[in-house]
Amino acid sequence: MSEKDANPSAKDALVGGSLFGRWEKLRGREGTVVGITAVLVAVFPYLFARAPVVSGFLQGYQSLATLILIWGIFAIGFDLLLGYTGLLSFGHAAFWGGAAYAAGIVAKNVSGDPIVMVVSGTLFAVLLAWVLGFLSLRRGGIYFSILTLAFAQMFYYMAASPLAFLTNGENGLTGVEVGSFLGVIHLEADIPSVGGMLLGTWLYAFVGAFFVGAVAVAYRILNSPYGMVFRAIRENEQRAEFVGLNVWRYKLMAFIISGAFAGIAGSLFTIHGAYVPLQSLFWTESGDIVVMTVLGGAGSMFGPVLGVGLYLYIENIVSTIQALTIPFTDIVLIRDFGFYWHLLLGLVFVVVVWVVPDGLWGILTRLRELAVDLGSKAANRVRSRSGNGGDGR
Amino acid sequence: MSLLSDVLVILLNGLQQGAIYVLLAVGLSIILGTLKFVNFAHGALYLVGTYAGLFVALNVPLSNGKLAEWGFSSFGLDIGFFAALIFVPLFVFGVGLLMERYLARAFYDRPDTDQILVTFGLAIVVQELFRVLFGSNSLPFEQPERILSFGSFAGLPVSGPIALPIVGSFPQWRLWVIGITAVLVALVYLLVEYTDFGLVVRAGTRDAEMVRLLGIKITRPYIVVFGIGAALAGVAGVVGGPLNVVNPTIGTNILVPAFLTVVIGGVGSIAGAVVGGIVFGLTTAALVSFAPAWSQVGLYAIAALVLLTRPQGLLGDEVVAP
Repeated sequence: MSEKDANPSAKDALVGGSLFGRWEKLRGREGTVVGITAVLVAVFPYLFARAPVVSGFLQGYQSLATLILIWGIFAIGFDLLLGYTGLLSFGHAAFWGGAAYAAGIVAKNVSGDPIVMVVSGTLFAVLLAWVLGFLSLRRGGIYFSILTLAFAQMFYYMAASPLAFLTNGENGLTGVEVGSFLGVIHLEADIPSVGGMLLGTWLYAFVGAFFVGAVAVAYRILNSPYGMVFRAIRENEQRAEFVGLNVWRYKLMAFIISGAFAGIAGSLFTIHGAYVPLQSLFWTESGDIVVMTVLGGAGSMFGPVLGVGLYLYIENIVSTIQALTIPFTDIVLIRDFGFYWHLLLGLVFVVVVWVVPDGLWGILTRLRELAVDLGSKAANRVRSRSGNGGDGR
Repeated sequence: MSLLSDVLVILLNGLQQGAIYVLLAVGLSIILGTLKFVNFAHGALYLVGTYAGLFVALNVPLSNGKLAEWGFSSFGLDIGFFAALIFVPLFVFGVGLLMERYLARAFYDRPDTDQILVTFGLAIVVQELFRVLFGSNSLPFEQPERILSFGSFAGLPVSGPIALPIVGSFPQWRLWVIGITAVLVALVYLLVEYTDFGLVVRAGTRDAEMVRLLGIKITRPYIVVFGIGAALAGVAGVVGGPLNVVNPTIGTNILVPAFLTVVIGGVGSIAGAVVGGIVFGLTTAALVSFAPAWSQVGLYAIAALVLLTRPQGLLGDEVVAP
């Protein structure tokens, strides 16, 4: 999300390059990225659901803000696999839904402590990802996609009937009671004072903490030598193998890490809704995360989160629009506009895959580069006119 | 009821279940094997086939969706099931040609993942289009009573039970499904194995570049292969429609088993698709009668097992893609 702030900086470059240069140095740092993420997470629900003019325009609400962060964690993890390692899994519903069920079942039978739920759900997802990754990664390309799909569907049908005594079958897991955090804080309650105005509920703060943590971990992984190996595998698996890297091990690890992210998100989903629908294991759920990630921009850190926001916004807000009118008038363009939300999303997805495979984030990045380019050119012109000679970018 | 008759009923039910998978899998398999194109929208073609079949064969009242809102109270030509069996494959063949020309061709040189993504997106679009037009509720697709009834000729009865030796009475329509599938698959097999067209297609599968160098225009056989695959999915939709519910999600629901059929049979092999479909059909039918709760799980377990022990598929001789 740092890109947004970069545009004004690019304009600053017109005046003096030093401020912009300083920002360019800062923006790649882990502390900057995590810090900005934390700030954005903190103001997001206020802007989305409560701020005077903006939220009235956006028509957001608190619970959707929480949901966006939860799916955001899922998408960041999924992108580690798809965008950075180049593996398209169509079976991540198994980790998301599996963790959701594990967390729910633990809450019903052992303890409803949110931390216990997240830990047990994530552990389950990691174990599952280990096993499924071990089996699916023996094949590459489309066979990997189809194998993950087959395994995930197997779990869907297992939860649907043979394991119905655990999962409550078609009806989904109802009656999950989420306990209070550390025994004192009820997650559903509003945070008092300023914190409440910004963040809203404790649940949001709880999910937000995980989100910031997920960003930090993913950023650290991707900018470490370990993450570079993921990228190397995406670029050219054979060459990575020739260099002497154990490609198989890195691929399995990428799969497990991404399963862990899906597990955290799935557990949080159960805490958020106190209910696990059977649908959460179905393969269309895997399809949803694929759509979100690609829409936002696979292979970038925050693109998938943008995709999640857009998808859930269209699914939950745009779908309620009765009629699409020309702004500030009563002229109706399309009646029952919200009715077409999924169709619209599908069309946008096809166009994105076709024309801009790096997604919305790719478009933003290119716009930013354009702005920086224009900015530095202008700055050079200013400098060369004052006789300094331009050696800018 | 003897044990033998139970087994035979399971066999017949399994063949019928498998027949739908086979029709879809043969189409998917020749497209994947020849064009190296991964078509996640194959289920959408099945969906189109089912609704088109409904449109041609019957006249169904509409109560939901935009069409009903726009004043169409019913939907269909009501000119009989046999007509549907003729016209729908032709129509879906045309859809397939358009799809190859304007979608698939742009993606031949792009990675597998892009092909999966764009066809998956297309599948969503088609499904949602049908949801918008017809609503998400199920439409009734009645089994045809008779086919080929013109004027004074009463036609051949195709519905209702028929008495078979040993088995006893068995729903006749299921036998027709098996028969229609067998004939069509045999035709496709003959086309690919014993005609000049098939020779070019098979050569293209081995080495498309060499075929091009020999001065053969490969694009035309390719587009026809895509059309044939699509037409088979259309037929699957027509014959499978009366056996299952008809709603906009059938396409995405049938896609996964169809794909697994291809993969366990062996990509590019028609015989493999047939074997895969029969294995799936029999497994499902057997599990439905002995352990119904596990009927669906078994299908995916078998698929996973085959893929792990014989990655090239039961009848595949080589691994097509790494």
